Amino acid sequence: MLDWSTAGPAVGAAFLASVVEVVEAFTIVLVVATLRGWKPAILGSAAALLVLAAIVAILGPLLDRVPLNLLQLVIGVLLLLFGIGWLRKASLRAGGVIPLHDENAIFTTETAELGTEVQRHRTSQDWIAGIAAFKAVLLEGLEVIFIVIAVGAGRGMLWPASLGALAACALVLVAGAIAHRPLARVPENTLKFAVGVMLSAFGVFWTGEGLGVEWPGSDLALFVFAALFLAAGLSAAGMVRQPIEEATP
Amino acid sequence: MNILKDVLSELLSMFVADARLTTAILTTVAAAALLIAVPGVPPLAGGAVLLLGSVAVLFRSVGREAARRRLEHGPEPRPGSLAR
Repeated sequence: MLDWSTAGPAVGAAFLASVVEVVEAFTIVLVVATLRGWKPAILGSAAALLVLAAIVAILGPLLDRVPLNLLQLVIGVLLLLFGIGWLRKASLRAGGVIPLHDENAIFTTETAELGTEVQRHRTSQDWIAGIAAFKAVLLEGLEVIFIVIAVGAGRGMLWPASLGALAACALVLVAGAIAHRPLARVPENTLKFAVGVMLSAFGVFWTGEGLGVEWPGSDLALFVFAALFLAAGLSAAGMVRQPIEEATP
Repeated sequence: MNILKDVLSELLSMFVADARLTTAILTTVAAAALLIAVPGVPPLAGGAVLLLGSVAVLFRSVGREAARRRLEHGPEPRPGSLAR
């Protein structure tokens, strides 16, 4: 029977993080499709998905061989590094210190860059476009794989976390197919903020368990950690936003 | 080779985007681990150091990065301004 106090945050984190990553990959794939048609876009994406599937097939069985405490510690520390990094960036964006991510602007820039690149290699234009799609899907997919493993492996929640990620892929692809343009209205920084909060909470939780800490309330402690990181992220954003407002007459 | 290089650099940047942040987080984890290893100290004390230390690292890192950007770039873009 699935314990939703553990599975809920794992599925939620995998889903939200995957939405962010898949939206970013989708923008590049759309650039390729717009410039060179859907054939290189689909071939490049499919090749990347095959590589990602191979990575999962190799990593999956290896994870079973690692002692649980060591796995929790290593994944916990990596999650802390990754999660606090995301939360920091999201706080800086929310505080107006760094600009928001804009899929429309990225679409325009990438179209110009890929267009120039394709012009320089007249004999292999589809190949170059396909490689661009391959790289985008592979790089964003690697992050999705890490997040799924990180939030799922410590408690045997790999399948629920994977389903969360797959649901995100399906949602973005359906939305993208309907919109047929970059998904600029996805509130990316809000999602990134939420994911940063959850990954940081998981990071503290797994690292502590890996070090031998028995958290009060067991899995429910995750919610307390998430609330604390949410409050901290929002406060940090407010802390860096204030000087800008003061500087504006 | 370019793709492999990009993949490796992306993987590295996932965890080591900012050397100071990485060092601060690893130091916090090490401090918690050392505290837990001390005989007579309850492991939960190490857990508290880990949790509160991580929150402190976040605060410090956001504040430092904001100050650095102000120094380098002058006035920041308004909240809601868009760029990559």
